[in-house]
Amino acid sequence: MIKMETKTKKMVLGTTMGIVVIVIVAAVLGGWFKGGDIQTITVTGSTTVLPIAQKASEAYMDEHENVDIRISGGGSSVGIQAVGEGTTDIGMASRDLKDVEKTNYPNLKGTVIARDGIAFIVHPSNSVKTLTLEKIRGIYNGTYTNWKDVGGGDEEIVVINRDSASGTREFFWEHVMHKEDFVSIALEKNSNGAVKQTIAQTPGAIGYVGLGHIDPSVNAIKIYENGEHIEPTAANVLNEKYPIARSLNFFTNDEPKGLAKEFIDFILSTDGQKIVEEEGFVPVE
Amino acid sequence: MIRGIVNILMGKQSLKEIGVKGLLFLSAIFALLVIFFIIFFLFKEGYPIFENVGFWNFLSGKSWNPTGEPPSYGAFPLIAGTLLVTLGAVIIAVPLGIGCAIFISEIAPHKVKAVIKPGVELLAGIPSVVYGFFGLVVLTNWLRITFDKPSGECWLAGSILLGIMALPTIISVSEDAISSVPREYKEGSLSMGATKWQTISNVIVPSALSGITAAIILGIGRAIGETMTVMMVTGNAAILPQPITDVFSPVRTITGTLGIEMGEVASGSTHYHGLFGLALILFAIVLITNVIATVVLGKLKEKHMPTSKKKKRKVISPVIMQRIKYNIYVIFVLIILWLLVMWLGIVIAVLTILITLCCYFIAKKISAKSSQRVAFGLVTLSTIIVLFMLGIILYYITANGIGALSWEFLSQSPRDSGRAGGIYPAIIGTLYLVGGAIFLALPIGIGAAIYLTEYTKEGKLIKIIRFGVENLNGTPSIVFGLFGFAFLVLYLNLGVSLLAGQITLAFMVLPTIIRTTEESLKSVPQFVREGSLALGATKWQTIRKVVLPPAMPGISTGTILSIGRAAGETAPIMFTAVVFSQRFLPTSLLEPVMALPFHLFVLTTSVPGSEQNAYGAALVLLILVICLYLLAIMIRDHYKKTMKW
Repeated sequence: MIKMETKTKKMVLGTTMGIVVIVIVAAVLGGWFKGGDIQTITVTGSTTVLPIAQKASEAYMDEHENVDIRISGGGSSVGIQAVGEGTTDIGMASRDLKDVEKTNYPNLKGTVIARDGIAFIVHPSNSVKTLTLEKIRGIYNGTYTNWKDVGGGDEEIVVINRDSASGTREFFWEHVMHKEDFVSIALEKNSNGAVKQTIAQTPGAIGYVGLGHIDPSVNAIKIYENGEHIEPTAANVLNEKYPIARSLNFFTNDEPKGLAKEFIDFILSTDGQKIVEEEGFVPVE
Repeated sequence: MIRGIVNILMGKQSLKEIGVKGLLFLSAIFALLVIFFIIFFLFKEGYPIFENVGFWNFLSGKSWNPTGEPPSYGAFPLIAGTLLVTLGAVIIAVPLGIGCAIFISEIAPHKVKAVIKPGVELLAGIPSVVYGFFGLVVLTNWLRITFDKPSGECWLAGSILLGIMALPTIISVSEDAISSVPREYKEGSLSMGATKWQTISNVIVPSALSGITAAIILGIGRAIGETMTVMMVTGNAAILPQPITDVFSPVRTITGTLGIEMGEVASGSTHYHGLFGLALILFAIVLITNVIATVVLGKLKEKHMPTSKKKKRKVISPVIMQRIKYNIYVIFVLIILWLLVMWLGIVIAVLTILITLCCYFIAKKISAKSSQRVAFGLVTLSTIIVLFMLGIILYYITANGIGALSWEFLSQSPRDSGRAGGIYPAIIGTLYLVGGAIFLALPIGIGAAIYLTEYTKEGKLIKIIRFGVENLNGTPSIVFGLFGFAFLVLYLNLGVSLLAGQITLAFMVLPTIIRTTEESLKSVPQFVREGSLALGATKWQTIRKVVLPPAMPGISTGTILSIGRAAGETAPIMFTAVVFSQRFLPTSLLEPVMALPFHLFVLTTSVPGSEQNAYGAALVLLILVICLYLLAIMIRDHYKKTMKW
């Protein structure tokens, strides 16, 4: 009896190991037999630009058999650092190069692939529908801590910020905060998606995301400027009414060439710009 | 070594013996080199920030704002955040963990044990990203609503999750230690009329204390080193809670900072050195924890094993020792009182104290049998709590993930940013990464541990080696990621590649494997080795046929825990090996891969509308790890059956 048990156990062990080995071998072989020369590029960086790059790469790869476009996020600064250091082919960024980056990586060339606006979002239950840029700065530097200070109900403001790698944050900091320090109690999130998710769950929260990331789970705040309440929409960025607008860039080391150039050309083509529009962003002129 | 060669020439020892010893020695040296090289690298890259900003300013500065104008590098809020979150985790995990370990090894009936033990080890397999996601969507909301706070992302959320994450480590290793206590101790105590509980609390647990302490240190290491979970639920605000006991305040840990800011730093910039400076501080915290633990362990050994070598130390008069101990107790009690008042208000604090005093006096009066019942009840309760937590998380993942599972899901690449399509490349990528890591770390780790335990005597060198291993064990996975990124990806120019990821993961699990292998080898009684040698077996024959087999269960446990970690970790591979999406599987070790935990992380934090697929990915990762675990458990049970003391 005991002998049989050990034997059965051994068989089971053997079979399981065998299956594991087969799976791994199959995976490796599957990788090998992808016939012909595979061209690959990696695209890394801004989480704002990520959805555009993803959709575009899928469309591009559908048309080209032996092409692999690998995409990663991490934030604009990650993208710029990676393309500068040579660990990626294209760095996506939702901002322009900082001076430090221009000195460290002098060969970077940028191509504008879309335009975008930064929208401020709050929970759907928030009664505040419009704010001035002054008030927004006041919230983010800690001057206002309660929604009633800015025309809403009596509720503590939960300030949602992005992490320091974010191009969106960098742009916001320069153009709205005028380089003032953020309030220290602001919660930091690592992507547009994370900001949106938090806002959708937290009644007292406010945050900022790229236009393409607005959806029905949050309310976008109108900006009150020059007597008008300006809604954050692609149309308003196109007609230059919306005050916080920026370019979305692809950076390469030197002029883009090879597959990187083809991919960038694809995004700038009519098909590619249609994808940009579908994702909620603003096509380049 | 020279003596070895002489022995061969003189025919005293076979070439095989010397060969094996040499091989094991090489493993030990290699492990040592890795450990010290990583430490050296951290120092080299971290030193400039201390030069730049000033050591004291860095440690005590109240503002961490490296991208501000002007930038500031004050690590104090981050240090405080790390310590506070870990403290909370330990308070939760240690009592529950030890209680559960006692239950599993001593009280549970055999059939129950066979189910619970693997069940608890399952908790270790749940990836940290999944805990983070669970925390982000379920726990923080629950905290926010139940306690009526503006946001649930806080210290408490982090501590609860970290506590749960440290539990499997503490329970598994403690349980191994407790079951390794020789039966004679137990039998002797019972035969003298002690109740089972008296045996457990006065004989078994103290004998297993060395292993239990090791388990707690491993657990603390796990908690301090956690990156993804704290990044997702603590809010990441670099502040000191006001007041310091406000558990609902957001905090930011050092690991969170590293995880958030690592990818963006230019090699050689001040920010880069700042991050390495943080890594050094973290390392120092782990060092201090280990020093304290070693001192405590030393004291324990002296107390319970009078045959151990006594060092000639300056003896403090026992009277003064008594006074010091008394004072420490008083201070300890006062701190607890203060905490109770801060957290619960003065009325409830007083009530709690009264109830505790009552319990204490009752405990003195009631019979041994009754106090046994109470003790067993508490221990069973702690097990139920642990299982309950496991149950919630598993239920949550399965219920939401089962809808996403289909053949398509498992065999196709992702589409629409991961909202549609499948996760096939991520599955294979994870298998590659884990396979490679274990392939590298297991032989070196086990070889090094065998050499350290069997071939060397207790001495200064061994102490240093063990010290290095302990400290690297507590080193957070993100620090390995940082090291891998700076050294393997950038400096060695491996780029973001499978190889870089495998090496980083291997370095990460190496200390755990060494530690747990050592513990299991040490649990084999000395008389077994002596008996074998006395019968004329050579050293290697003794190790292979007599010492290793009974140690296999412990070694397998260590391997299981390491596999669990390697498969579920995101931080070490985040910047060294992965991309979010790729179409073809990598054809060489120098290409990047997709990996399940990273895929899950990106889906849950950056791709709204992908919940279905995210749960599916979590479920697949879980199933993958369960299969690996089952395999290891079968191996362990197979060996347990053949072991007879």
